[in-house]
Amino acid sequence: MSAYLEFRKITKRFPGVLALDEVSFTVERGTCHALIGENGAGKSTLGKILAGVYTADSGQILLEGRAIAPASPLAARELGVAMVHQELAFCPNLSVAENLCLGDLPRRAGFLDRAALRARARTMLATVGADLDPDTLIGTLSTGREQLVQIAAAVGTGAQIIVMDEPTSSLSAAETAELFRLIRTLKARGLTLIYVSHRMEELFALCDHITVLRDGRHIATEPIPTTQPTRVVSQMIGRELRAHTPAHLARELGPVRLDVKNLSSAGAFNEINLNVRAGEIVGIAGIVGAGRSELVQAIFGLDPAVSGHIWVDDQPLALGSIEHALTAGLGLVPEDRKRQGLILGLNCRENTALAALPLLTRLGFVRRKAERALASKYAQRLRVKTPSLEALTAGLSGGNQQKIALAKWLARDCDVLLIDEPTRGVDVGAKAEIYQLLDELACEGKALLVVSSELPELIGLCRRIIVLRAGHIAGEVPRAAFSEATLMQLMAGVPAAA
Amino acid sequence: MLARLRVFFRFQESGLLLVILALGVLLTLFAGKVRTPVFERAADGTRSRVFTTDANGERIPLTVEKNKFLNAQNLAQLAKDTSFIAVMAVGMAVVIIAGGIDLTVGAIYALASVVGALVLHRYGAEGLATTSSPLLGILLGAGACLGVACLCGLFTGGLIVTLGVHPFIITLGGMAIFRGIAFVITKGQSVGAFPAAFRDFVRFEVGDGLSFVPLMTMLVVLIVGWIFLSRLAAGRRVYAVGGNELAARFSGIRVERVKLGVYLISGLCAGIAALLSLGYYGAATSGDGQGYELNVIAAAVVGGASLTGGRGSALGVVLGALIIQMISSGIVILGIDQNYSQIIIGSVVIAAVVLDHLNTWLARRRLTATAH
Repeated sequence: MSAYLEFRKITKRFPGVLALDEVSFTVERGTCHALIGENGAGKSTLGKILAGVYTADSGQILLEGRAIAPASPLAARELGVAMVHQELAFCPNLSVAENLCLGDLPRRAGFLDRAALRARARTMLATVGADLDPDTLIGTLSTGREQLVQIAAAVGTGAQIIVMDEPTSSLSAAETAELFRLIRTLKARGLTLIYVSHRMEELFALCDHITVLRDGRHIATEPIPTTQPTRVVSQMIGRELRAHTPAHLARELGPVRLDVKNLSSAGAFNEINLNVRAGEIVGIAGIVGAGRSELVQAIFGLDPAVSGHIWVDDQPLALGSIEHALTAGLGLVPEDRKRQGLILGLNCRENTALAALPLLTRLGFVRRKAERALASKYAQRLRVKTPSLEALTAGLSGGNQQKIALAKWLARDCDVLLIDEPTRGVDVGAKAEIYQLLDELACEGKALLVVSSELPELIGLCRRIIVLRAGHIAGEVPRAAFSEATLMQLMAGVPAAA
Repeated sequence: MLARLRVFFRFQESGLLLVILALGVLLTLFAGKVRTPVFERAADGTRSRVFTTDANGERIPLTVEKNKFLNAQNLAQLAKDTSFIAVMAVGMAVVIIAGGIDLTVGAIYALASVVGALVLHRYGAEGLATTSSPLLGILLGAGACLGVACLCGLFTGGLIVTLGVHPFIITLGGMAIFRGIAFVITKGQSVGAFPAAFRDFVRFEVGDGLSFVPLMTMLVVLIVGWIFLSRLAAGRRVYAVGGNELAARFSGIRVERVKLGVYLISGLCAGIAALLSLGYYGAATSGDGQGYELNVIAAAVVGGASLTGGRGSALGVVLGALIIQMISSGIVILGIDQNYSQIIIGSVVIAAVVLDHLNTWLARRRLTATAH
């Protein structure tokens, strides 16, 4: 008997990255199949290929023995495959009913048949047990509710396979429980679910099989009962976590370079007090929405509505002004390098020199020699792999782009670096190089404030970690007390286990 | 040799040069011949016809047969016409590279023209201030023309920055406002009779009718624009803002200031073109420069400025202006109905954008192919 759904040697390349490398495995009908892997392992890419968002460069997908190659999400829908996205799946300005029927609006004599529209939407919502008014605007729904509507749309249009990409990443605990109940119902009805996530507990509670991907390669597909979380973790990481102690920890700390007092911004964070000393790396942990990025952006002057006090090297800093932050020696490596960090249409040299431009200018002219020298100095120091400094940053791999985003602030010789997600979407080799670099910077006496959602990263790098929860400081953990459990408890607000 | 060719083709401008060459050859081949009278220049600089006698002994003007396109007079005319569009297109390129669009250029051209004309008229033969030096009048007129153009640019730029509205809407409104003001202050009348010295200066010709001043102005604007965009920090900021406004802001670039600046530059360029037209045509009305925004945007887009921002060059758009002007004059030379010119230019713009998309797509494929 052939498998219900089979991936055969699926390969997908993006500029600069091999996202999937000959991935093959099978999925059984009526099961919930987990896809797990570290950031950049290729799990979302695989899900999107099945749902027709991307097309594979090579390889085959077989559905009940028949090769399918959905060229678009619409084509995938017709084959019975639907995807539940994290966001932006619907038009927020239209109602639930209109969104549900958008592909095939009921008409009577050319006019929109509102009664039929509502009736059809109600039927679709009923299949997932959602109690929603079809006339509600999508934009007013919570993420969890919107996801429910997406699932209703998928089930209602006859989907047999539903791909869910990190469905719980922005759900509350109650919404998550509701979602899990629904997934079990769908499974009982014979639907197949591909569940993309990196939350181990969820997968073990929910799924029947688990496929582990690492660096675009298929590592293992096993039934849940025969594997354990620890085993999956080692498959995901594929290497022993080196107990490497950064060199900066052995050094004496200098004076306080960044001192933040009572910093508040309505709706983002409240009464934040923290300081970072010369030669110190301080981590900021917290779940999505805890106010981590908002905090570092506010320190950098990107939030005009912030109140409180900041001192840099004992000088008060005017709030809400990037110019003052720059003059004071602050630099921010933002969390989303493609949107906030780099100008992809400019080359490596121009991106590296962007923040340092005022220092490279004479009478308004860019000093080209100095600019080239500066760019090549940091490209060498950060070991940026690029055909030339004149190559567009759009063509670089994630790791090399991140290095350029860092180089931009090193080129300006900032003393206080705020780094938001230093290694998101970066391959393993470049990660190690970036950690090494941050260690060196601390040893040089710079003050580093690092935000990350990867706890092992913070545990490896930092001297102490400040945990944010719902815009407040939930606690500060010194290196001696570092453990994922301690940090997680603070992040989630769970009292320490007895 | 081959390597040198390859370097040549790496520049987008080389493609434009090939198009210009091809257009030139085609126009020459299909233009046909025309008989034009021969002129001679007397010692005092006046031109007069040369006459000869025919077989019957009658005195007839001497004529020569020339290619309709490839003759000195036509090329001089082409150069002059291109200058006006090209000067404005350089300003437009700066705006487009910064990720904006400026529909006001034609209206600024008209308003700056009539304001300059009103000042120049006062110092002209029929004006009230005939007694004062014509040079003072010319300087005041030029200053008024350029100053008004800059103010218009600042006005639209300021509104775009403070209101945060899409530049298309603001400049669409600005276009109507500026032309309306031009109409109101002239009551729709043509304003002329400038100091003769001004007209003589701008119409100064070298060779066979080549207008020296517009051509030189275009070259100066081209060189200044090229230096600004490729050598100055300010130019780099324009590319940065157009390439990714958020990342530019995160890098400490004062995005608002850059945006204000690019509309000021565009306004100034429209003012320079208006000043040239005042000298060349010797009169201005509020209807001047109608529809110029189409030709100017066309020149910029054909010349490789990307409407998504972040890409383009001064040389490219000047060559783009030349292509647009060659097409316009080609329509006349080939005897195609004038009414088709708008249709043809519109089609060229769309074709240029399609080609640009194709090019981007090819580049992305190359990137993917060479990544590993």
